[in-house]
Amino acid sequence: MAGDVKEINLGRTFTAGIWDQNPVFRLLLGMCPTLAVTASVKPALTMGLCVTFVLICSNIVVSLMRNLLKPHLRILMFTLTIATFVTIADMFVRAYAPQMSKELGPYVPLIIVNCIIIGRAEACASKNNLIVSITDGLGMSIGFTFALCILASVRELLATGAIFEYPILNTAGEGGWFTPWAAMSMPVGAFITLGLLLGLINVTKKNRTSKAGCHGLR
Amino acid sequence: MRRVKHFIEQSWLLIAAAFCCGLLLALTNAALKPKIQKNEIGEMYDKMKGLMPQADKFEKVIPQAEIAGNITDVYEAKDDKQQAVGFAFVGTGSGFADKIKLVIAVDKDCNKLLGFEVLFSNETPGFGSRITEDWFRQQFVGAPTGTLELVKSGRADKEKDQILALTGATVSSTAVVNIFNNHIGELKKLLKEKGLIK
Repeated sequence: MAGDVKEINLGRTFTAGIWDQNPVFRLLLGMCPTLAVTASVKPALTMGLCVTFVLICSNIVVSLMRNLLKPHLRILMFTLTIATFVTIADMFVRAYAPQMSKELGPYVPLIIVNCIIIGRAEACASKNNLIVSITDGLGMSIGFTFALCILASVRELLATGAIFEYPILNTAGEGGWFTPWAAMSMPVGAFITLGLLLGLINVTKKNRTSKAGCHGLR
Repeated sequence: MRRVKHFIEQSWLLIAAAFCCGLLLALTNAALKPKIQKNEIGEMYDKMKGLMPQADKFEKVIPQAEIAGNITDVYEAKDDKQQAVGFAFVGTGSGFADKIKLVIAVDKDCNKLLGFEVLFSNETPGFGSRITEDWFRQQFVGAPTGTLELVKSGRADKEKDQILALTGATVSSTAVVNIFNNHIGELKKLLKEKGLIK
C-alpha cells in the first residue's frame, strides 16, 4: 500500500472521472441518487455539490491515513469518515437551503451509502498520495454532477418545459404547443431517460477501451 | 495484558478517528442548530401569514402537550390592534404516497375556514401534487367549519360545504378533505374548552 513509485498522470486521473470512468455513465455507481433526485436540475445540482464535498473530503482524509490503515479495519474507517462528512453536509443544507433539504428528503443522508465514495476511497485514496486523491475526487465528483445534471435537464425539460426553472418550451398551459409529460418527473421517467442515455453513450464508446488514470475499478 | 496491547495496536486509529469525528459533528451541530430550528419555525409562520395576511403576531394558545388528540400546537393570530384574526394549527393525514401535513386556518369565531397551505406532501407529480394549486385551495376559503363533502363532477357549492375533487387525484383530494373533517371538530371543542370562542 505504501509508496507511490509509479508515475500517475494527473490529467488523465482528472478526466477519467469525467468521461472514461464516469461514475454514473460508465461505472454505473450511485444509481440511487441518480434515479431519485433528477426530476429537475436544482435538486440534482445540490446533490452533486454535496457529493463533491463529501468525496473530496473523504478522499483527503483516507489518503492522509492510508499508511496507518489496518486492512481488516479499513472499511470501518472509510464509513466513519464518510458518515461524518455527509452529516455535516446535511446540516449545512438544512441550515442554508431548507427548501432544497425538504425536496431532497432522505437522499442527502443516504450519500453515506453512495458507492462512488467508498469505491474511490478503496480504489484510489487508500493507495495514492494526497494530490492524486484530490484530483481523482474532483474528477469523479464533476463527472457525477455532470451526469446528474444532464439527466435532470432532459427530465425537467420534458416534464415542465423548463430547465433550471427557466422556461424553454411553450407549454400548453400558457397557450403554447408543448404538453408537459408528467411521467418524466416520476420514477418511470428516470428509468427511461437513464436507459436511453446509457445506450447512447455505449454506442459512442463501443470500439474504444478506456485507459484508467488512477488504478481504478477495472 | 498482551491481548489489550494487541487490541490497542489494531484499533487506536479507529478510536482516535471516532473521537475526532464526534467532536467535528458536535461543533457543526452547535454552530448550525439555531439556524435549522429558526428555518423550521419560520416556514410555519410564513404559511400562517399567507393565510391570514392581516395578522401581525402569532401566539401559541394551546401547546401540543395539553392536547390528547392528533392536533399540533394551536396558534392564535392577532392584528396590530391586538384584535383576534383567527386560529391556525397543523393537521396531518395519510395521502396517496406519504403523509400530508397542512397548515389550516379558521376565523376568530371558528365559523369559517380561512384556507390551508401544504406544509409537507409527497403526492404524485401532475396529479396529487395539484393540491397545492390556488384554485383547489381557494375552494376551502370561506367554507363553513362543518363536515366538508367531496364532489367529483359538476359545480361545487361552497355554501353547502362542497369541494370539487382534482381530476385523477381522488385519493389526494379525499385525504385533504379528511384532514379537515378529522380536525376541525376537535379544534372547535378545544377552543371552547379554553374559552377562546363562544
